[in-house]
Amino acid sequence: MRSSDHNGTVLAKSIEEPVEISSVGTTARPGPLTANLIRSIGIIGAVSILPLVMPINIATEILIFGIFAMAANLLIGTAGLYSFGQAAFFGTGGYAAGYLLAHGWTSLPLALVVACGSGGLIAAAVGILSIRRLGIYFMMLTFAFNQLVYYIVYSWRSVTGGEDGLAGIRRPVLELPFVGSFSFDDNRSFYALASVLFLATMIVLVRMVNSPFGLVLAASRQNSRRTVSLGYPVPMLQLVAFVIAGAISGVAGALFAMLYRIMPIDSVHWTGSAYVVFMVVIGGQRNMLGPVIGAAVFIWLQGLFSLVWTRWPLLLGVFVIVIMASLPNGLVGFVSKLSSWTVKGRGQRQC
Amino acid sequence: MLWLISAQLVNGIAIGMIYALMSFGLSIIKGLLNIPNFAHGALYALGAYLCYSVVSLGMSFAVGLAVAFLGAALAGLALDRFAIQPVSGSGYLPQLITLFGAALVIEQALLIGWGTVGLSYSPPPILRGAINLGFTIVPRYIAFASVFSALVISAVWLLIERTKFGAYVRAGIERPETTQALGINVDLLLSAGMMLGAGLAGLAGGLALPLVGATSTMGGDMLGIAFVVLVIGGLGSLYGSIAAGVLVGVVQSLMTIAAPAASTAIIYAVMIGVLLLRPQGLFGER
Repeated sequence: MRSSDHNGTVLAKSIEEPVEISSVGTTARPGPLTANLIRSIGIIGAVSILPLVMPINIATEILIFGIFAMAANLLIGTAGLYSFGQAAFFGTGGYAAGYLLAHGWTSLPLALVVACGSGGLIAAAVGILSIRRLGIYFMMLTFAFNQLVYYIVYSWRSVTGGEDGLAGIRRPVLELPFVGSFSFDDNRSFYALASVLFLATMIVLVRMVNSPFGLVLAASRQNSRRTVSLGYPVPMLQLVAFVIAGAISGVAGALFAMLYRIMPIDSVHWTGSAYVVFMVVIGGQRNMLGPVIGAAVFIWLQGLFSLVWTRWPLLLGVFVIVIMASLPNGLVGFVSKLSSWTVKGRGQRQC
Repeated sequence: MLWLISAQLVNGIAIGMIYALMSFGLSIIKGLLNIPNFAHGALYALGAYLCYSVVSLGMSFAVGLAVAFLGAALAGLALDRFAIQPVSGSGYLPQLITLFGAALVIEQALLIGWGTVGLSYSPPPILRGAINLGFTIVPRYIAFASVFSALVISAVWLLIERTKFGAYVRAGIERPETTQALGINVDLLLSAGMMLGAGLAGLAGGLALPLVGATSTMGGDMLGIAFVVLVIGGLGSLYGSIAAGVLVGVVQSLMTIAAPAASTAIIYAVMIGVLLLRPQGLFGER
C-alpha cells in the first residue's frame, strides 16, 4: 500500500504523528539559557565566516535563499501548507523594489517596505483564493497562481523588461540622520546588509514559530479538525502565515535583485518555487536552521554543477531523486537520527 | 467577423481536446497515486520529440503517435519505479520533489538529444489542406486532431468503465485500502495507471507537434495549463478535466481575436472565476 496521504486518513495521520509541540522550533525545548546563547553565537559566527571560505556573492546568495527558504518553511514545516508558488512572491518583491531602484528611488527603507508590501499583498490575494483548499488542491492552486504572475511579468514588458529581465537596478542607499549615508555598492557592505536581514528574519521566524500563533499553526498541521473544534480560527491564521511568508519572500527577492543588479525572469518561474521546497525538504523542516542548510547545499551544488556542464539541471535532478530516496527526512533529520543513535536515553524524537 | 469567430472556435476545440487528453492523464494519475504529476509536462514534451524523430526517420505519422504514447508510457513506468516508489512511505512532499527532479532530468535529456532549437513538422499530405464547411473552413489536421483525441478519450473511458481492469482502477481510486484487502495488487495497478496517464501525455505531445512544433519550454507551459484545467474541472472528478480542457481551449482561442497577448492570462481569470463561484470546480464534489 503506497499512497499514505490518501483522502480520509485523518485519523491514521494523527496516530502517525502524535501531538508533539516541543520539537517544532529551534528554541522550543526548554533548555538552559546557555544552550540558546551558544546556538546564537554559532549562527552569528557561521554568518561571519561564510564570506571568507567562498566567493562573497555566493555567500550572499546563500543568505538570500536562506531567508526565502525560512519563509517557505513557516508554511511547509510549521503550518503544513505545501505551497508551490513561493517564487511568485519572491519575484514580485524583487520586481517592485527593482523597479524603484532602477528609476532613481534608491532609499533602502523604501525599497524594503515596497518589497515586503508587494510580496505580502500578492500573497494575500493568492491566499484568500486558495487557503481553504487542502493538500494537493492547495499545492496546484499556488502553482497555477505562480504561473499567472509569471505570465504577467512576461507580458508586461514596459515595466518588467519581459523576457530580458529588469536590468539597470542600482544598489540602495541608507540615509541615517546625524550619521550620514551608507551605500551598498561594495560587495562586502552588501553582504553585511544581507546578513543583518538574514539574522533578523531568523529571530522573527523562530520567535513566531514558538509563539502561541506558531503553536496553533503547528497544531493545525497535526490535526486541523481538532484545532478548529478547540475554537481557533485556523484558516484565518493560515492566511496570516501565508501573507507573512509572502512578505519575507518579497524581501529576499529584493535582495536578490540588488545583488546582481538585474531581476531575471527565471526568478518568478515556478521552478523557483520547486527549488525552495526542495531546499526546505533536504534541509529538514522541524527547525529554521534546516532550510538554511538546504539553501546552502542547493546554492553550492548549483554553482558546482553549472561549472561542470551546461546541462546542470540534469545533474541537479538526479541529485534530487537520489537524495529523496535515501534521506526522505532531509539532512538535518539524518544528522539528528545519527545523534539519537549515539546519545541514548534522551527519548526525544527529532525527525 | 463571424467567419473568424467560428474558425477560432474550431481551432479552440482542437487545442482543447489536446488539453483534455493531457489533463485526463493527469487526472488518472492524481486519482490513483494521489499526487500531482509534476513530470507531466516533461512527458508531453517527450511525446512531441519522439514523434518528431520517428517521422523524420521516414516512418508514418501514425507510427510516430504510437511511439509517442509507448515511449511516454515507458518513461512513466520508469518514473514510478525509480522516482515515486522509493519515497512512497514518506508522505507526498518527497514524491513531488522527486517528480520535479525527474522532470528536470527528462527536459534536459531532450535538450541534449535534440538540441535547443525548436523543431517543426507539417502534417502528412493526407492531413494537409482544409475542408470547406460553407460557413467556415476547417484545416484537415485540426479536424483530425479533434476527432482522434475524442476517439482516444472514448477508448480510455470504455477501458475504465467497461473492463475488469477499469473496475480495479476505479476501486483503487475510491478505496485503495479496501481494494488491497480484496487481494488486488494495488502497487501494480498504480504502475499501470501511471503508464496510462503518462502515455496520454505523450500522445497529446505527438498530436500537438504539427500544431505547435517541439520546443524546450513546451513542457513547463503545458504543465501550468493542465493544472488549471484540473482545478477548473474539479479534482474529485475523473472526467471533469475533459470538459474543462475543451472549455479552456475554446476560451483561449476566442480570446486571441480580442487580445492575443492576454490569451494565456485569460485561462487563469477563468480559473479564479470558477474558484469564486464554485470552489470545488465545475464537476467536483465537496
